[in-house]
Amino acid sequence: MSFPERVLVTAALPLLTLVFPIGLFAQEDRLGGTADVTVAEDQPGTAQAISAQWHEVFASTVRPIFEARCFDCHGPDSHESGLQLHSLNAIRKGGDSGEPAILPADTNRSHMFHLITTSDPNERMPPDGEPLSEGEIAAIESWIKTAPPWKSTLSETSIDHEELDHWSFKPLTSPSVPHSLDAIANTSPDVSLNTTANPIDCFIQLRLAEQGLTHNPIASKRILIRRLYLDLLGIPPTASQVESFENDRSVDAYERLVDSLLANPAYGERWGRYWLDLVRFAETDGYETNRERPNAWPFRDYVIESLNNDKPFDQFLREQLAGDQMGVPVATGYLVAGTRDIVKSPDIVLTKTQRQNELDDMINTTGTAMLGLTLGCARCHNHKFDPVTQSDYYALQAVFTGVQHGERQLPLSNERRQRIEQLKSSIEEVEGRLAGFKSDADSVRPAVVFTKNTETFQPTKARFLKFTVLETTGAEPCIDELEVFANDQNVALATLGTKVESSGNLPGFPIHQLAHINDGKYGNEFSWISNSSGTGWVKLSFPQVVEIDGIAWGRDRNGRYSDRLATKYKIEVSTDHEHWNVIASSDDRLPFGQETPSVKYDFDQLPPAEKAFWEKQLDQLQMLKRQLEELQKTPSVYAGNFSTPEPTFRLFRGDPMAAREQVDPNTVEFLGDLQLDESATDAQRRVSLAEWITDVKNPLTARVIVNRLWQHHFGNGFVPTPSDFGKAGVEPSHPQLLDYLANTLLENKWSLKSIHREILLSATYQQSSEPNANAMEVDSGNKWLWRFAPRRLEAEAIRDSILAVTGVLDSSMGGPGFSAFEVELENVRHYHPKSNYGPDDWRRMIYMTKVRQEQDSVFGIFDCPDGSTTVPARNRSTTPLQSLNLFNSPFMLQQAKILADSLVRETNENLESQIVMAYWRCYSRSPQREEIELAEKFVAEYGLEAFCRAMLNSNEFLFIQ
Amino acid sequence: MSVEQNLKGRFLLERRDFLGHLATGLGGIALSSLFANQGLLGNDQASPIDPVIEPQRPFAARPSHFPARAKRVVVIFCSGACSQLDTFDFKPDLIKRHGQPMPGADSLVTFQGQQGNLTQSPWQFRPRGECGKMVSDLVPRLGDLVDDLCFIHSLKGKTNTHGPGENYMSTGFTLDGFPSMGSWVTYALGTENENLPSFVAIPDPRGTPQSSVNNWGSGFLPAAFQGTDFNSDKPIRNFRRPENLSADRDAATREFLQQLNRRHLQRFPGDSELAARISSYELAAKMQLSIPDVTDLSTENAATLKLYGADDTQNSLKAAYARNCILARRLLEQGVRFVQLFNGAYQTGGEGVSNWDGHKSIKSQYDVHGPVMDGPTAALVQDLKQRGLLEDTLVVWCTEFGRMPTFQAGASGRDHNPEGFTCWLAGAGVKTPFSYGATDEFGYKAVEDIVTVHDFHATILHLLGLDHKRLTYYHNGLRRRLTDVEGEVVKGILA
Repeated sequence: MSFPERVLVTAALPLLTLVFPIGLFAQEDRLGGTADVTVAEDQPGTAQAISAQWHEVFASTVRPIFEARCFDCHGPDSHESGLQLHSLNAIRKGGDSGEPAILPADTNRSHMFHLITTSDPNERMPPDGEPLSEGEIAAIESWIKTAPPWKSTLSETSIDHEELDHWSFKPLTSPSVPHSLDAIANTSPDVSLNTTANPIDCFIQLRLAEQGLTHNPIASKRILIRRLYLDLLGIPPTASQVESFENDRSVDAYERLVDSLLANPAYGERWGRYWLDLVRFAETDGYETNRERPNAWPFRDYVIESLNNDKPFDQFLREQLAGDQMGVPVATGYLVAGTRDIVKSPDIVLTKTQRQNELDDMINTTGTAMLGLTLGCARCHNHKFDPVTQSDYYALQAVFTGVQHGERQLPLSNERRQRIEQLKSSIEEVEGRLAGFKSDADSVRPAVVFTKNTETFQPTKARFLKFTVLETTGAEPCIDELEVFANDQNVALATLGTKVESSGNLPGFPIHQLAHINDGKYGNEFSWISNSSGTGWVKLSFPQVVEIDGIAWGRDRNGRYSDRLATKYKIEVSTDHEHWNVIASSDDRLPFGQETPSVKYDFDQLPPAEKAFWEKQLDQLQMLKRQLEELQKTPSVYAGNFSTPEPTFRLFRGDPMAAREQVDPNTVEFLGDLQLDESATDAQRRVSLAEWITDVKNPLTARVIVNRLWQHHFGNGFVPTPSDFGKAGVEPSHPQLLDYLANTLLENKWSLKSIHREILLSATYQQSSEPNANAMEVDSGNKWLWRFAPRRLEAEAIRDSILAVTGVLDSSMGGPGFSAFEVELENVRHYHPKSNYGPDDWRRMIYMTKVRQEQDSVFGIFDCPDGSTTVPARNRSTTPLQSLNLFNSPFMLQQAKILADSLVRETNENLESQIVMAYWRCYSRSPQREEIELAEKFVAEYGLEAFCRAMLNSNEFLFIQ
Repeated sequence: MSVEQNLKGRFLLERRDFLGHLATGLGGIALSSLFANQGLLGNDQASPIDPVIEPQRPFAARPSHFPARAKRVVVIFCSGACSQLDTFDFKPDLIKRHGQPMPGADSLVTFQGQQGNLTQSPWQFRPRGECGKMVSDLVPRLGDLVDDLCFIHSLKGKTNTHGPGENYMSTGFTLDGFPSMGSWVTYALGTENENLPSFVAIPDPRGTPQSSVNNWGSGFLPAAFQGTDFNSDKPIRNFRRPENLSADRDAATREFLQQLNRRHLQRFPGDSELAARISSYELAAKMQLSIPDVTDLSTENAATLKLYGADDTQNSLKAAYARNCILARRLLEQGVRFVQLFNGAYQTGGEGVSNWDGHKSIKSQYDVHGPVMDGPTAALVQDLKQRGLLEDTLVVWCTEFGRMPTFQAGASGRDHNPEGFTCWLAGAGVKTPFSYGATDEFGYKAVEDIVTVHDFHATILHLLGLDHKRLTYYHNGLRRRLTDVEGEVVKGILA
């Protein structure tokens, strides 16, 4: 991995060792470097000669043809459709289509050759005049056919230096904090810079002064605490919190408040939402089936916890790309948080397109969210604005190509394993005590079931394990997953190197494959079926001898299929493949279909006091067993599943059926080099990319995140196109401040809270939001930050704030979410909005199960994204349907009533105090006399509930100001 | 001009200005649009034309890019992929070669797998109208209207699954997350009656289509422009005054709320976002008055109910769809800009049970769906015509893709086929009677005058006076369009 400062400074010195410096066209190369093509290394001497000869042919024969017939549009000074034919590098890079003009030795797939030989007049080149002569074509043909292979990466000099002359691609600068306004010519006399100010204010005031603007005065403490609460926690402060802050006269009262709010866990719930928007997190698949992902929520909790713990941002990113390599597999939920089309078809085009879309989602999200680069634009052609080639896109695809969607089992934590051991011994102990009272000592194992069957035995060494089915409930046997446990770890998984063979497999069904038996995935869609009715066997070969003590298997763990179940079977193990021992079988099970009588204990013979004692013991035993069962459930999470990467090819026009040359894993060439080749493992690829993205020399990552933080505090970032720092994006309003903050982030070891703190302590943040006519005229959009511009809260903060002020907000954190819908469980899921709400629905909205397409019926329309695509900044639209929802929905009417009831309860039915309390709760302030009178008059006629309904709908409640 | 020049020149500077405002919400859109209207963005043919949106009146009617032929649209969407071969795309060779293998089909794998033999339609085709266009007996009432219809037989899709297919037809992208055509149109043009939603989606009586809300979602456009879904049986959510509240108390509460809001606005004079919220409650109140009027079909006379089939006591499904068709006409009459009317739903049974997805038994399944769709849809076109609305209303009949000329191996139905399918248009600005483009001899692939879905969208926008290349919205690095980076107006069908 490397960071090419070279491309940012000069491109004259090639980094790669060039094997054949030809230099024939050096004088014509735009970059002044050598016009070389990096040809494959390890060529024997003769190959060198061939290569040199080939370059010679280009110079003497082919290039003159191009010069005569093509240079008008595709020469050194013109590049119609991005194509130039004057140098080998340019030819190799090709035009906007991303297609290299030629592929060595392959005229059939050489795009340029096709265009000069096609009979289609709409396609043929040159477009005007005669086609190339037969002789010219023959010369070009033989030149292509004799071309030596070249390495898959473009050589150094193919990077156009001009394309890199863009602010965000350059290294971070270290701007000095301006402490004087001398630099400004037209400083008005009444503008002065506060030289003791927070550095942020120095940068901001400098630009304000240039515009003839000044900061608004600092807002009142009441406004500030409300702003901080809504901004940092997403809920308003209580009356007592406001009062105690207002009464705190110490100089550092504000600073201490900032620190306490940053330490408040609600911070992660508020700011985690922004990250989840950005990484398009949702808990259904999307598309027509839109199935639930019931175990996607741990990723949401991971994000919240990471922010609350102020996990260094570089580590946060690395974990999301490669957390499986860092002991945080949950974090890789990031990779697969996007949509996924699960409709299966034997149509290969469809299947390949679906996979391309999954990978595109990962590339596009990583590019925009982490780097502020719209990499997805290069899927079908070279990027129109940024120096991102189609090859770059597929190099990134090669990084992600081992990533698969799905559930992933998490290893049990050490604490949990210890707890399991403790429970097991407690159970043994109690069972031992109770043993004497067993009414039926002769226990038989339960009959097999369709979902999950377990086998337990003394720890046994095994290198091979064979599961033989002797009889089924009918038809060929099906097993969806065969798990073999050593120390509670499933050692059968293919990802751990276990190989599998079978007696034969049912042909023709992609969902039924031998590989599914140890892929860690449950259900009919990932199962094995034998090719012989009633019988069949599978054999696992572990990579080494393991000591196993349990097996679990089933026909369909998801419980939807009730057929093809093995009713008679045996399981054997061997260490040498010669001597086999049966370790489990159906022989000691009840016949299929018979219910297991539970073990009975008989205390009838005992005196009552003793009997009560033993019954209590029995209760305890049952409780312990339930606890054990709960603890032994393997936790699953919807996160990255990783496989050996398949070769990746560049796809002409992004068409999955038009594979071109193979591409090695890498990042965008103009920014760096992961120095990997196709032999790199999936993990190496992702780890390298993660390290490259979070390298302190990466000019984008730190800038992009500090811009996002600023944006969420102020409503707008310095760069108003927060996920596009490329040339089509907008340049920063305050480039120096942006770099200053990015540097500060790096100096503080990527601590996001350190940046929040610096921003929140600035006078710029603490300004009042009041408009002033002069400033409105100059800068109504508040680009130069002369005030804190008011803005409507987002959907989640509105809902959370309502629940907070009515007093019913359930602030319990984490775990599975609550649903806004009643779900119709069909193949294609349908989500019907709930119409009755209770305390289960009153958690913070970040815990509302995120369903794609269908939005919460009240708050969704407040521009709440559905997770279909990355969203860096929400729209803020206003529509009558929002008003109807807030004014009429059962949810809101219920909350209005709850608020009214609690006001009555807490104020001894004194109307004025009720109104005052409502104002404090909803607006964090006392009402003015006139407001009390208006409210009293209204309440007298229409009641307190109607008053509360109006308050919860009002602008002052819904706006941060 | 090169990309670099384009970017480093004037264009980018002005973009920066208006994008800076964009993030402030609808107010920003208005500002950026003002720049555009003052010519500050230049008059480059390709430069975007941003609609001028007043924050207080997001749905106010806005001018089109050039004079429009159609003022409003109704899109009739047959969900599940309605077969071209059993309705409007007559292929004599399919009858001649009935029962024979389709050349090349032995190696052809479509959505559900292997192909059987070429199979003629179970319904007979007959010449219809004065033009003599061949239409099948499955849709006789629409057949009677052929002189008023403009068929496109050469549509070509991009995907052979329903979800992405419906996304593509409704949003121009197969992926989730893009704005629907109706939301683009509403964003561009607003509506002529601000007391009603500008974009109404009318789901089938049986439920929602496969791509559900995506068909009328606003994607990354402001939520204000998303479709409002209701039909004659299912009212708008949260739209009615709560039952236990008197009208008087409800109105007084709203007035009290507005009082609170106006007092608050005094502290932020001229703040467009705050003012917009005040207006939104007034608009909502007006909607509460107009929507019951427009959805109340009791004022329709017996002849109208009969024309549509809303009085059909034998076929309650048809009667329910007919009521939706009448509702569509009433909305259009009242100036709603974009109506999307669905026929077919996945919710109560996919694979042809409740929609047009006739894999297994096309005869028995379409025998149910044909009569439900045919009469009421035809009545809608007739009714619009007799009321003079067809003059400036565009009627679009579409589906997500077509079906195979073969039956599936081992079934009596047709598999998915995005290679060629039929849609038709009627009304404002289109040539009638007319048939454009063609599929091959069996009706499998579009071969003549191929029309992509992007072309189809570009043409619909064109009829509404909108240049599809200039109707854009910035999202994540791109000025996005309904037509992505493709689309040509199909000039051949314009009257």
